[in-house]
Amino acid sequence: MKTGIKIALSVALLSTLSFGGEQFAMSDSDRAMYAEMLENNPADIMVANGEELLAEYCGGDEGIAAFLNQSEDSLPAYLAGFPRYLPEFKQVVGIDQVLQGLMSKNGHKPFKLKSSDMFDMSAYVKSLANGEKSNIDVNANPQMKEAYALGKKTYMTERGGRGLSCNSCHSDAVIGSVLRTQPLPDLSAKGVAVAATWPAYRMTKSSLRTLQRRFQGCMKNALLKVIPIGSPEMVALEVYLTSEAKGAEIAVPGLKR
Amino acid sequence: MKKTLIMSLLVGASVFAADYSGVIQKPNASKLIEKDLLAPAKTFTMPAGCVTTNPESIARGAFIFHNLNGKKAKKNPPKGLSKKTADGKNKQYGNCIACHNIEGARGAGNIGPDLTGYKATFIDSGVRDNKFVFQKIADPRIDNKDTHMTVNLTTKLFTPAEICDITSYIVSPK
Ligand code: HEC
Ligand code: HEC
Repeated sequence: MKTGIKIALSVALLSTLSFGGEQFAMSDSDRAMYAEMLENNPADIMVANGEELLAEYCGGDEGIAAFLNQSEDSLPAYLAGFPRYLPEFKQVVGIDQVLQGLMSKNGHKPFKLKSSDMFDMSAYVKSLANGEKSNIDVNANPQMKEAYALGKKTYMTERGGRGLSCNSCHSDAVIGSVLRTQPLPDLSAKGVAVAATWPAYRMTKSSLRTLQRRFQGCMKNALLKVIPIGSPEMVALEVYLTSEAKGAEIAVPGLKR
Repeated sequence: MKKTLIMSLLVGASVFAADYSGVIQKPNASKLIEKDLLAPAKTFTMPAGCVTTNPESIARGAFIFHNLNGKKAKKNPPKGLSKKTADGKNKQYGNCIACHNIEGARGAGNIGPDLTGYKATFIDSGVRDNKFVFQKIADPRIDNKDTHMTVNLTTKLFTPAEICDITSYIVSPK
């Protein structure tokens, strides 16, 4: 198993770092703190907690490998392909939902998808795929095709008090422009590492968060009704953005503004 | 192990294939999304007396332009504007400076055009009129169906009077 945990820079963060001046969200002291965190991602301790939880509730690395019918050698590449359609779940599932299934199988009450223990444990499990290239296959079966289509539709749907969609702020037309001191990150260009760098530590929230939790943040800020983690649309959004990041090297936990 | 036992175990395994679909969380979101959808683009008629040089109206427009919501706003809103909605919720403002620069803006974004000097450049020159600005804020899709700008009246985030306040601010001399 790989133990070294890589640090990932978000595109947004990189561009924030490379600009000076008042217009941008990071002050010099923020930048200094960020440099310090690059050496020592505060999320490492949370990922370590996830490793302990996995040992306690899921039989550790062997447990998750066996549950997914993988050897420990094949596990990292397999994990790099989530979300996946799994017949035992009758749907496309994220790593967090797989862990709910495994906890239940082992006679434990599954952690809630939005709990920090679940964030920690799924971050650890995804970190087992560090160094692998994201290899999601959205054409693997009809269910994955459907999830991709639903994800794209959800991404494009304008709603909420201001009539915005994800695409309003993350389309090619606006990437790199500045929204109230924050450069808009490119989420969907091929090979962009956004989806490969979550779960991540968010400096502004002082906590480890998953990709779906991040989506909720944008929904709340932009006045879109926040939809629950684990809903088909949330898993589908993850499928969509993960597919856009296909081929990117997984580096978890990421470090974000 | 006897062959028959192995056989029956194998059969058993497939008949009782694991089913985890009932133990995971898979909440419904489609109803939430359905109720939250943006209505089609709508043309609005500007109310009579909408755009004004009344300083109170302009002050409210400025406040809505420069602030995100009642909770985040540092200063108290001017007369006629509240930090809360009628039912006690956090009142949302325009947060226009997230995308537009304008006189006195702090931390303005650049997704939308710079609105500095708007009166001289766009109104006095005859390129735009008040009606255009009102409609642009109310529902920008009428003028540009692919716009990245927020929709403010079709979504009922603001009242027509508030759109008038914002319009008055943009076209006022600063
Ligand atoms: C009003 C603008 C706006 C809307 C609408 C919006 N976002 Fe964002 N999003 C941003 C900004 C700005 C950032 C970068 C914030 C930062 O640097 O902290 C961001 C960051 C993100 C990130 C993190 C990127 C990274 O570097 O890892 C993800 C993922 C994301 N958005 C997904 C979404 C999704 C999914 C939706 C729709 C449900 C959405 N966004 C809607 C403005 C928006
Ligand atoms: C998410 C980004 C965004 C936000 C928030 C936003 N705008 Fe815009 N705005 C744009 C863009 C992009 C354009 C140019 C495209 C267009 O005209 O639709 C624009 C155009 C305009 C114009 C037309 C300028 C001209 O004469 O061509 C006006 C006026 C305007 N915005 C006012 C506002 C006001 C007032 C608010 C807040 C209530 C606001 N905007 C919020 C992005 C935004």
